[in-house]
Amino acid sequence: MTEAELDRYLDAWQAPKPPASLREGLRARFPRAERRTFARPLRWGLAIAILTVALAGLAQTGPDLRDNPVFRVLSGWYTDFVQAIETRQAAGIRNQIRESHPQVYVDGLRAGSLEYGPAARMDVAVPDEGVYSFVTYSLVAGRGGWIETGRIQGNVIEFQAGSRHVRIVCDKPIVDTDRPVFVRRRP
Amino acid sequence: MANSDEQLIRDVRRGKEQAFLRLFDQHHLPLFRFAWRLTGSMADAEDIVQECFLSLLRPDCGFDPKRTAVRTYLFGAVRNQSLKGLRRCEQGEIPDRADRHTPETEALQNEMAETVGKAIAALPAAQREVLLLAHYEQLPLAEIAEITGSEITAVKSRLQRARATLRETLAAYAPRRERTI
Repeated sequence: MTEAELDRYLDAWQAPKPPASLREGLRARFPRAERRTFARPLRWGLAIAILTVALAGLAQTGPDLRDNPVFRVLSGWYTDFVQAIETRQAAGIRNQIRESHPQVYVDGLRAGSLEYGPAARMDVAVPDEGVYSFVTYSLVAGRGGWIETGRIQGNVIEFQAGSRHVRIVCDKPIVDTDRPVFVRRRP
Repeated sequence: MANSDEQLIRDVRRGKEQAFLRLFDQHHLPLFRFAWRLTGSMADAEDIVQECFLSLLRPDCGFDPKRTAVRTYLFGAVRNQSLKGLRRCEQGEIPDRADRHTPETEALQNEMAETVGKAIAALPAAQREVLLLAHYEQLPLAEIAEITGSEITAVKSRLQRARATLRETLAAYAPRRERTI
């Protein structure tokens, strides 16, 4: 039997087509992150409303923003509101992380577990560096020693803690879009 | 291709279902064929292929798209899952290839296909997987070596031995077949 004849014989053994249930079953088993359907549209709506009112106030009292009491009050309310929304979202993210069996790696090696603090804060003990806290809302940026040193993407949170690289892997996606991670060393 | 796969994997790991389905659509056919030929079972092949795609989402997944092509990783995963299943069969944990000889499959396969399938199933596992990847999936020897975790020379010699055995096995069948064609 020649090589070509053998090939011809082998070609007679055809595999069946995969069943439709293969794709559908896989799709059903795909882990989905919870979708944010409320907070983001509300935040945009409120921002537009505040801007409209502020512009109306400015039109009557002059162009200097800092001296305008209407603007100052609305700006304060807006900041508080956005902060509340961000903190709430960050708390939601923290809860999802907590329920997703997070595994902590420091420089690629398994490290201890996460500790959960108040205000959506999470703590991780980094060998030789101390305990580092991190949050996922941006309003802490530049305040109280919080520095953006990493990102949360899908099911993975990565950030720099001193000279060490921390990677936290969850067993399901936590966010739809990337978010910054703010870190500070606990005193 | 490598870059687009890398991007797809990144999106998949961010939880994007569309990216996951695109990845599946690009790769599932050869993987299913390979799994089916290794296990001889539609149900097992379906389970194995699903598990392999889902393994990409697991936190302990060691796949790095910068080092390995996703196709190579998935073929390796199918191979490992199939071997695990076959080992369980050998240890008597689950019945061997339950739907291999159903009337349905026997009706679907003609005599020649069945003979070839049986001859390939009778090969040693290491030779069988190399033959399936080389002949049916047309993968280059270097990629087969990566999938099976072997040297290229070992892959080449297993392929030669597999083909020699098949030539011998099928030779007995060939003259009979030639007369009927």
